[in-house]
Amino acid sequence: MNPFRLSLQALATLIPLALLAIFVFLTAYSWPAIHFNGVRFLFSSTWNLGNLYADPVVRDGYSIAVGAQYGIAVFIVGTLASSVIALLIAIPVGIGVALFLSEYAPRRMLSVLSQIAELLAMVPSVVYGLWGLQVLAPIVLRDISPVVSRTLGFIPFFSGPATSGYNLLTAGLVLALMVVPVISSTLIEAMQRVPTDVRESCFALGATRAEMIGKILLPMVRTPLIGAAILALGRALGETMAVLMVSGGALNYLPSTIFSPITSMAAFIASQLDSALQDPSGMAVRSLAEIALVLLVIAVIVNVIARLLTYQVRGARHG
Amino acid sequence: MAELTATKTRGNAMRGSRVVSNFALATLCAIAFVLVIAPLADILWLVFERGARAMSWTLFTQVTNGISGGLLNAIEGTLVLSCGAVLFAAPVGVAAGIYLAEYGVSHWGRSVRFLCDVLVGVPSIVLGYFSYVTLVIGLGWQFSALAGAITLAVLVVPYIARFTELAMRQNPAALREAAYALGCREHQVVLRVLLPAARSGVLTGILLSFAISVGETAPLIYTAGWSNYLWSGRLTHEPIGYLTYVIWSFINQPFASAHALAYAAAFLVIMVVLAINVLARRLLKPSALA
Amino acid sequence: MTSSYRQIRLRKTVAIAGFVTLTAAAAFSANAQAAQTSLLETGSTLLYPLFNLWVPAYTNAHPDIKITTQGTGSGTGIAQAISGVAQVGASDAYMSNGQIKQSPSILNIPLAISAQTINYNVPGLNNVHLKLDGPVLAGIYSGSIKNWNDAQIKALNPKVNLPDHAIVPIHRTDGSGDTFIFSQYLSSSTPSWSNSVGYGTTISWPAVQGGVGANGNPGMVQASQQTPYSIAYIGVSFHDQISKAGLGTAMLKNKAGNFVLPTKKTVNAAASAMNGKTPADERLSLVFAPGADSYPIINYEYAIVNAKQADATTATALRNLLDWAVSPTGGNSAKYLDQVRFVPLPAKIAALSKAQIAKIQ
Repeated sequence: MNPFRLSLQALATLIPLALLAIFVFLTAYSWPAIHFNGVRFLFSSTWNLGNLYADPVVRDGYSIAVGAQYGIAVFIVGTLASSVIALLIAIPVGIGVALFLSEYAPRRMLSVLSQIAELLAMVPSVVYGLWGLQVLAPIVLRDISPVVSRTLGFIPFFSGPATSGYNLLTAGLVLALMVVPVISSTLIEAMQRVPTDVRESCFALGATRAEMIGKILLPMVRTPLIGAAILALGRALGETMAVLMVSGGALNYLPSTIFSPITSMAAFIASQLDSALQDPSGMAVRSLAEIALVLLVIAVIVNVIARLLTYQVRGARHG
Repeated sequence: MAELTATKTRGNAMRGSRVVSNFALATLCAIAFVLVIAPLADILWLVFERGARAMSWTLFTQVTNGISGGLLNAIEGTLVLSCGAVLFAAPVGVAAGIYLAEYGVSHWGRSVRFLCDVLVGVPSIVLGYFSYVTLVIGLGWQFSALAGAITLAVLVVPYIARFTELAMRQNPAALREAAYALGCREHQVVLRVLLPAARSGVLTGILLSFAISVGETAPLIYTAGWSNYLWSGRLTHEPIGYLTYVIWSFINQPFASAHALAYAAAFLVIMVVLAINVLARRLLKPSALA
Repeated sequence: MTSSYRQIRLRKTVAIAGFVTLTAAAAFSANAQAAQTSLLETGSTLLYPLFNLWVPAYTNAHPDIKITTQGTGSGTGIAQAISGVAQVGASDAYMSNGQIKQSPSILNIPLAISAQTINYNVPGLNNVHLKLDGPVLAGIYSGSIKNWNDAQIKALNPKVNLPDHAIVPIHRTDGSGDTFIFSQYLSSSTPSWSNSVGYGTTISWPAVQGGVGANGNPGMVQASQQTPYSIAYIGVSFHDQISKAGLGTAMLKNKAGNFVLPTKKTVNAAASAMNGKTPADERLSLVFAPGADSYPIINYEYAIVNAKQADATTATALRNLLDWAVSPTGGNSAKYLDQVRFVPLPAKIAALSKAQIAKIQ
C-alpha cells in the first residue's frame, strides 16, 4: 500500500480511536456502578442520590450513600421519545425546505436563501433553549396543546391539555428545529449535484415538477438523505442544553402523554453532574458515567438499525 | 416514464389529480420553508431586541467585568477555541472522508463510517467530562485553551468526515478515470482533482462544524473554564473565555445588565458564524453556483 | 493550473496568513502584561452575582490581582477547591462529615447570608400573601396535597378564597443550593419528608402529577410566570424579577409558630438567633432558626478554600481577598449586599470567618 493511502488511513483511524478511548474510559470509570446497579439500572424508574450528608454505607461490597438507588428508565424513554418526535418532524420539513430552495426558488436567490436556512445551524443550543423557554413553551401551552388534544385526543398519547409548556412536545419541537439544517443542507448539496439534464429530460417527457421530484430526484438522493437522517438522530440524542431548559425535568415517573415533562439522558448528566460530585462515596458520578455509557450503546444500536435499513434500500434498488 | 406519456392521452380526469398533486407539493414545500424561517426570525429578533441595550462599541473594546462590561475576551476566546478545533478536526475529518469515499467499501472502511456516526451521538457533556478527567486533571493541563479546542475537535470531526465523504461520493466516476488516464498518481488524483471537485460539500461540512463548535457550551465548562481576561497565548494552565459561557451563566444572574450582555453575546455568536460563513464562501468559491 | 485556481490559492494563502498574524498579535500583545497573581473562583450560582459585584471593585483597588469568577454549582465549587484547580470554591452548602474526612485541610468560610422566598402564581391571589408552612409545602411537593383549596391550605388561610384547581409544583432540575435549603426547611419541619426524601442539592423529587422542573432561578421565575396555579422556591436575589413577573410571595411559618415575610429584619433575626450555635468550623445550617421574628429559610454562603495553597503569594492574595470580603467596610457592606439582597455576617460570625481565613498558608 502506498504511503498516501496509508497516511489517509492513519488519520481516519483517529476517529475510531477517539471513540474507543471514550468507551474504555466510560466503562473503566463506571465499572463499580455497573456492577452495583446491575440490570435494574435500565428498568427502574427511581433515581435517588441518597443522603449525601450522612456517612456512606456499604452495600453489596460497595460504599454508597444512604438510600441511594439508581434507575434510568425515565431518561431512556425521554431521550428516545424526544429524538423520535424530533426526527418525525425534521425529516419531512427538511426535505420540504431543501426542495423549496433547490427546485422552486429562483436560482439567483439560492445562495442567499440557503445561507438563511443554514443560519439555523449557527444558533447556539443555549439560545434555542432560551427561545424555547420564553417563546415556544407559552405557545405550546396556550395555542398548540388545546388544538392537539382536541383533534388527536381520542388517542391516549395525545389526550389532556397540558398543564405547563415544558414537556415532550416542546422538547421535540426545539430538537426538530435544531436538526433540520443538518438534513436540509445535505439534501440541497446533493440535489445541486444532480445534473440539470436529468430534470430537463423529465419535463421533456411531460412530467409535472412534483412527479419529477417524487419519481426521479428524491430516489436519487436517497443515500445522502439516510446519511443525513442518521447524523440528525445522533445530534438529537446527544443534545444537552436546549432540552435541559424546555423539557420539564421529569424525575421518578415515565411520560404518559405528549404533554408530560421528560428528561433526556444528556440533559440529566449535565444537570446532575454538579450534585453527583458531592457524593463522598463517588458512586453517584460513576452512575452518571454509566448513563453516558448507556447513551453510547443506544447510539450504536440506532446506527446499526439505520445501517440495516440502508442496506435494504440499496438491495431493493439493485435487486 | 411510459406511464407519464400515456396519462396525457387519457383525458382531463387524470390531468386534474396531477395538477393538484403538483400544486400540493409546491405548497407543502413553501410551508416547510416558512415553518423554518419564522422561528429563525423570531429567535434573531428576540436576541437582537434584548441584547440591544448592551450593544455598543464597548462590547468590542472591553473585557467582561463581573456583571457588565464588554465581550472582547469572550469573542477572542470563542475564535481561538473554534478555529483551534477546526484546525485539529479538518485534516483528520477530510482525510477520513476521503478514505471512506475512495477506499471505504472494505470492512475496515465500513466500521470507520459506523463509528463516525456513533461519535455524533455522544453528548457534548460526556466529551467534556472525559476531557476533564483525562486532560484537565489527568495530564494536569488545568482549565486550558488546548483542552477546550481538542474536545471541540473531537465533537465536530465526524461531521466533517461525513460531509466530505458524501461530497466525494457524488463525484462522477468519469472524473477519477480521466485523471488516471492523464497519468496522475493517486495522491494527485485525490488532492488535485477529486477533492477540489467536491470542495463545496467539504466546505459545507467544515463551516457547519465551525458553527456547531461556536455554539457549544457544556464541553467547554469543564475544559476551558472561563476567564474574565484576554487570552495570554498560553495553551495550557490558563482558562479562556467564550461567548456561550456568557449566554449560559449571565442569563442566570439577577442583574438586567448581565441579561443584556448575555443576549448581546448570543447575537454576536450568530453574527460571527454568519460572517465567517459568508467570507469563506466568497473566498473559496469563485464560481457563480452557490 | 488555471488562473482562477491560482487566484483561489492566493486568496486562501493571504487569508490564512492574515488570520495567523492577527491571532499571534492578539496573543502576544495580551502577554505583554506585568506578572500578576491569578485567582479562580468557581461554584455556587447563588454566590456568583455577589462575587461579580466584588471582583471589579477589588481588582480596581488591587491591580496586581487577576480574579476570574464562574457560576458552575456548589458541587463543582467544592470539587475544584479540593482538586486545586480553583482557589475559592463557592458553595451554598457546607461540606458533609464524609467529605471533611476525605479532605481535612479544607475550610468552609461563610461570606454572607442569603435567603429564599416561596412564590406562586395563583390568578387573583398574587397580591395576597398566602400563609404556608413546612408540612403543607411538603404535602404539595410530595403530591399528597393536590389542590389549591385543599383543607390544609384552607386551615392556614381561612379568609382567602382559594380556587379549586390543581397545584403545579415547580422544582429545580439542576443541582442547586436553593434546593438544598428548601429541602432542609421541609426536612426540619416535616418528619415524614425527612424520613423519605431528605435534603440535598439534588433530591429524588416524588412523582407529582403535573410537577415540572426548571433550570436556574430565572427559569423558576419564568416557569412560574407562564404556568398558572404553580408554586416555586426562588432565591432572594431575584426579588426584582419576581415582582416584575407579578408572582405572589408566601408568609412562612417559623419554628416559633409565627408567619413571617422575607424581609431584612426577619432574616437578620434568624441570623443572630443562630449566632451562638455556630461552631468554630462554621458548618451549620441556619434553616428553621428559633426566634419569634426569624425567617425560616436562610443560609450561610460559603467559600470552600484549601488551607494549603500552592505557594505563599497565592495564599496571601487569597487571605487579603477573603478578609476584604467579610469585612463590613469591604465586601460585606450594604453597597454590594443590597444589590443581591443578602444580609451581612453578624460580627461574631465575621470574626470566626477571619479566624479561619488566617489558617490559609
